[in-house]
Amino acid sequence: MPSNHLNTLPYYVVDPTPMPEGIPSVPEVGATSAPLLSVSYFIGARCKPYNNNFMLCRSKSKTPEQDCLYEGRRVTRCAISVLEDITKNCEETLKAHVDCLENRNHELDKCRLQEAFLNKCVKKFLNLEKVIPDAEGIPVHLRNVKLVD
Amino acid sequence: MSYHQDLPPKGGYPDVQWKRNLPSRGFRPSIYLAIMGVVSLLSVIPMSKGFRERREYSREKAWARLSLLPLLQAEADRDYVRRITALTKREQELMKDHPDWADNKPVFNDGRSRFPSYVALEATKN
Repeated sequence: MPSNHLNTLPYYVVDPTPMPEGIPSVPEVGATSAPLLSVSYFIGARCKPYNNNFMLCRSKSKTPEQDCLYEGRRVTRCAISVLEDITKNCEETLKAHVDCLENRNHELDKCRLQEAFLNKCVKKFLNLEKVIPDAEGIPVHLRNVKLVD
Repeated sequence: MSYHQDLPPKGGYPDVQWKRNLPSRGFRPSIYLAIMGVVSLLSVIPMSKGFRERREYSREKAWARLSLLPLLQAEADRDYVRRITALTKREQELMKDHPDWADNKPVFNDGRSRFPSYVALEATKN
């Protein structure tokens, strides 16, 4: 990357123009990668119909960005609802898992203890379960013995 | 005067000991090779278990990402629409005195949406 790259200049070249009129606004998620990774399976569990609908709309359309805004807003709202519910009911366990992920290079297999507490709490309050599709044998997040580090 | 030819003694000379007379230790080399082979074969079993577990880890990570993909894509799409609309508007404003300017004419005829490779933006001082 050249040293006079735009990002290194004392300018910002982000387009600050707001969203055009007529497109309904939706709050953005705004979470960083560790909380998103932590709650990803619960987002997948609750928002599966919305996610599938959105991705199907995208794959069918030639201009998916313009055509699937409605489905995309539903996806974002659903994800926000999951995040809000988890932070409302299971803030401590979520924070423990997120901190662990941040300190362990975002590797899920290094944070099984915190994840177990979070999964239990989410199952209790939100009735959402982490399911890894097509798992071989016992799912990895439920195994007691860890063979590789 | 009688002559005697110098001859070996009766029954020949004794054998010269050229071979070392040491007791052999351990097993035959082939047995060591066999033991090594068996140990290696037995180690394949836990190793394959470890490989399978690693594969499950990567699958877990992939499915976590797949669950987040629509969410991230929706956000990126909204940003795309916002920026492409602003770009078109800026272009219209810039080229309003040129009636032969083909407004927002796509480069390809397949009807797919693309973001232009080069975009003129107003750099704002920080």
